[in-house]
Amino acid sequence: MKKISENYDSIVIGAGHAGCEAALALARTNNKTLLLTISLDAIAFLACNPSIGGTAKGQLVSEVDALGGQMGINADKTAIQIRMLNRGKGPAVQSLRAQSDKNAYHTEMKKVLENEKNLTVRQGEVVDIEVVGDKKLVTTHLGLTYSAKSLVFATGVYLKSEIIVGSVREKTGPNGFKNASFLSDSLKKLGIRLLRFKTGTPVRLHARSVDYDKMEIQYGEDDIASFSAMTEGNVKNRAVCYLTYTTPKTHEIIRQNLDKAPAISGEIKGVGPRYCPSIETKVVRFADRERHQLFLEPEALDTQEMYLQGFSTSMPADLQKEMVHSVIGLENAEIMRDAYAIEYDCIDPTQLNPTLELKTVPGLFFAGQINGTSGYEEAAAQGIVAGINASMFNQGKEQLVLKRSDGYIGVLIDDIVTKGTNEPYRMMTSRAEYRLLLRQDNADFRLTEIGRKVGLVSDERYNKFLEKKQKIQQIEQILQQKAKIDDKMRQLFEKTHENLPKENIRFYDMLKRTNIDIFQIEEEYHIFKDYDRSLLELVNIRVKYEGYLKQQQEDIDKMLKNENVVIPQDFDYSKAKGLRQEAQEKLSNIRPLNLGQASRISGVSPADISVLSILIKRGNS
Amino acid sequence: MQEKPIVSISSPLGRGAIAIVRLSGKDCLKEALKVFHSKNLDPNNVQPRFMHFGKLQIEDGVFEECLMVYFKAPFSYTGEDVVEFQIHGGVLLAQKVLDCITNLGVRLAEPGEFSKRAFLNGKISLDKAEAIIGEINADSESDLKNSLSITNGRLAEKINEIQEQLKLLLAEIEVGMDYPDETEETSIKTNIKTRLQEILRATEVVLEDSKSMKYIKNGVNVALVGRTNVGKSSIMNALLGEERSIVTDIQGTTRDSVSESFMYQGIKINLIDTAGIRQTKDFVENLGIEKSKKMSLQADVVLFILDGSEAESKNDAEIEQMLSGKNVIYVINKTDKTRKVAKKKNEIEVSALTGKNIDKLKQEILNMVKLEKVDTKGAVLANERQFHILQEAKDLLSNILSDESRTLDVLSLLLKDLWKIYGKITGNTENEDIINLIFSKFCLGK
Repeated sequence: MKKISENYDSIVIGAGHAGCEAALALARTNNKTLLLTISLDAIAFLACNPSIGGTAKGQLVSEVDALGGQMGINADKTAIQIRMLNRGKGPAVQSLRAQSDKNAYHTEMKKVLENEKNLTVRQGEVVDIEVVGDKKLVTTHLGLTYSAKSLVFATGVYLKSEIIVGSVREKTGPNGFKNASFLSDSLKKLGIRLLRFKTGTPVRLHARSVDYDKMEIQYGEDDIASFSAMTEGNVKNRAVCYLTYTTPKTHEIIRQNLDKAPAISGEIKGVGPRYCPSIETKVVRFADRERHQLFLEPEALDTQEMYLQGFSTSMPADLQKEMVHSVIGLENAEIMRDAYAIEYDCIDPTQLNPTLELKTVPGLFFAGQINGTSGYEEAAAQGIVAGINASMFNQGKEQLVLKRSDGYIGVLIDDIVTKGTNEPYRMMTSRAEYRLLLRQDNADFRLTEIGRKVGLVSDERYNKFLEKKQKIQQIEQILQQKAKIDDKMRQLFEKTHENLPKENIRFYDMLKRTNIDIFQIEEEYHIFKDYDRSLLELVNIRVKYEGYLKQQQEDIDKMLKNENVVIPQDFDYSKAKGLRQEAQEKLSNIRPLNLGQASRISGVSPADISVLSILIKRGNS
Repeated sequence: MQEKPIVSISSPLGRGAIAIVRLSGKDCLKEALKVFHSKNLDPNNVQPRFMHFGKLQIEDGVFEECLMVYFKAPFSYTGEDVVEFQIHGGVLLAQKVLDCITNLGVRLAEPGEFSKRAFLNGKISLDKAEAIIGEINADSESDLKNSLSITNGRLAEKINEIQEQLKLLLAEIEVGMDYPDETEETSIKTNIKTRLQEILRATEVVLEDSKSMKYIKNGVNVALVGRTNVGKSSIMNALLGEERSIVTDIQGTTRDSVSESFMYQGIKINLIDTAGIRQTKDFVENLGIEKSKKMSLQADVVLFILDGSEAESKNDAEIEQMLSGKNVIYVINKTDKTRKVAKKKNEIEVSALTGKNIDKLKQEILNMVKLEKVDTKGAVLANERQFHILQEAKDLLSNILSDESRTLDVLSLLLKDLWKIYGKITGNTENEDIINLIFSKFCLGK
């Protein structure tokens, strides 16, 4: 028996975006928590692009926030530019995207962790895990052993990671941090199946060496919402980004040197993401494209480093220089950090329950890139759920499963644990079937009550939410008031090319007209002076999209019917006569919690679900 | 517990004297009484487990006399309210009854669904559960087989094509939304309308084209073609089993095309007797001959009637040439006399006079349109389902095209619904497919 130096309720391994949320969720729900990280300097490190949010990811950030998480607050605090994507394409797909000051992001998150009571933050590489009865023992490379009731694995891309630049392979973590070379073996010993994935990051350039005159400037937007409901006031735009393009010469250099490209030659075995290919992969796969667009983004306000989005590569360093110099405006660019590919171990996420708990060992939770996902926001989303559930586990309470209709977090987790993934999984709005309901602006309406119930939503946050709810109600009441046919109405209807009604109508009915929105009504009538723009926007969407929202709600109700049929966890699929063999295998592999999850497993047919519902019923009686 | 009402044909079809159409579920009696009327029936007080005689309104002005039995929950097969109609046998009729009930908004039962409900309501003992599971599996297999095989996969293939077009459109819309920075803006919105109109047109064509559906709904059109005086009218009469057209020995008696129908194995067969084809200067007769040619070219099956007792003429050769590529059965008539006509590839020797091989000819007609191998009950249900699905797709498409003010997020939502509707026929409903297309078709990435 190892000598135990300290006892905790929970230990979180890894202090990236998943680990931070998990640790905070645990500590804030009164669990004595230890957060172990390979380097204190790697806490909440933005290892790739210096930005938070984007399509679907913006929604994830707001959902983490609505549950009582930290990412949104931190992103608002450290943003140096902010924009709303997809304006004009409809409310369902609008997402915030912020350029973050990567240094500030790290520092601010570290401060929050350091000041959290119940939370111990400590540097140390975990090399071994042992499960002894109810206790989980964690041993670091310096031989210290800690014990806890539950563990959260949030190791990111550090497991046996290798950096690849041309023919150079280094056994390190991202950005020169040391990697975790022993933990994967310990996971294997617990019977966990591992996968090997890869990802990559582009070069960082010195700002003074860039010819900005040849590039297009991208500005942020003022006067827009923030990620967090806790943030007062707007985010200030303090930096700009630049748009530029590759040239035929860039493509020529790449084509002539494909033999030196590890991603193409087969040197890299890990599975990379299709949505984030290296520049050499893009040139090969889309040979007819004459140019690819690239964005130049500032890494932080206190540094000259610029991130070249779209230019991830694992070509040899000398070629990287040649390639960069062939890009418009980068003819004389100085490279400060080379681009690299990184290979790492992760687990097959179908080994997890939708609670992110390992099916085979109770009390072990997994979150973030170790689950085969990619992205800071995806990591944070899993982190907060894993943290909440580790806390529920410690308290002996029922664990939280977010449904696909609750939020993108529910979609994300359901997708990976039910279908698995064969590449780093990225959240997309296309993956959410109820995306009209899963908007960024109503994340709190969907999740704050849930966060409150598990004890993560503070009084301050909850009161703000109640106040918002009340204000929305007031706005909706005002909409029910009738307006007379007078000059004001005539003016509004003329301006919007709508036909004037024959009798007095409610503001609500006005809002139902295609060309009239709530802001035009406000302009004319000044009835919403006391309300924020964001609240009016929300009500506007509710009224304008009422029919579709109702339809989505009906779809959800239909889905929930199957979702509520629980499958006993000891159900023996191999003895289930009438199920096709393929279905038997898939079902016993995934072990779905309920009929709804079962129906989403690929290879399980509607007839199988019919059969299964009968077998469950028979088992129950 | 009572679920939403469902309907299905519950008896084997085709040869039986009666067929049973069964409804089960909440308020199914109310639905049934919308189309079933009986003088002695008080709609508010229908006596359960009692045969009610009345009329089922199939279409405007078309009624079927039948029997209705009402089983009040829980005393029924499924444990829910159940209504059974006992109607006359035959595919066509059962099809029409099913049509008129699904038009009320009652959905077709899924494979084995009646038994499943019976089981879940505790009407069937546990040891029978396995039998029901077998039924579900067998039914879904035959359902799938029928919906695919009935048109030799051609229908499925066409719908696949439509779905592919839709998938591409969806992928383009989705990629623009998920990667707003990385896709160079295209004028997709203007493009959408034209592309959706194409999809609508293609859907309408498939609906029209759905031949076997047409056969089952409208019957098989069979043209009787031949020189004058080879006995077309006598064969038509023999097939109909009663005297109908005027039969004379004077050439050119049947100047116009006449049609008459009969039922065979539950399928309606429409016979079109055409004017005899010959060289003539008679203007009126020539009009008739032109019409004959047209009719025979449009028919599903052509019976080319030859007088077995005479050698073929130049006229016969011309007709034969005209019919090349059509479904032709050579009917050698007057075989009671010495045969002089040459042997044909797909021929049947008949005698209108004695009735020889007339039944064989009927069977051969079904063979020609490949209806002989179809399990008629399965085919009706599979077809009915396809028809409804295509109709549903068409309606949704028209709705989508009717309002151009929708934002892209809503549009894509509706298009995804549409994609799933087609998927009910092709079996292809995986959202992952669209995402895969996004990555294979578009160059994305930071």
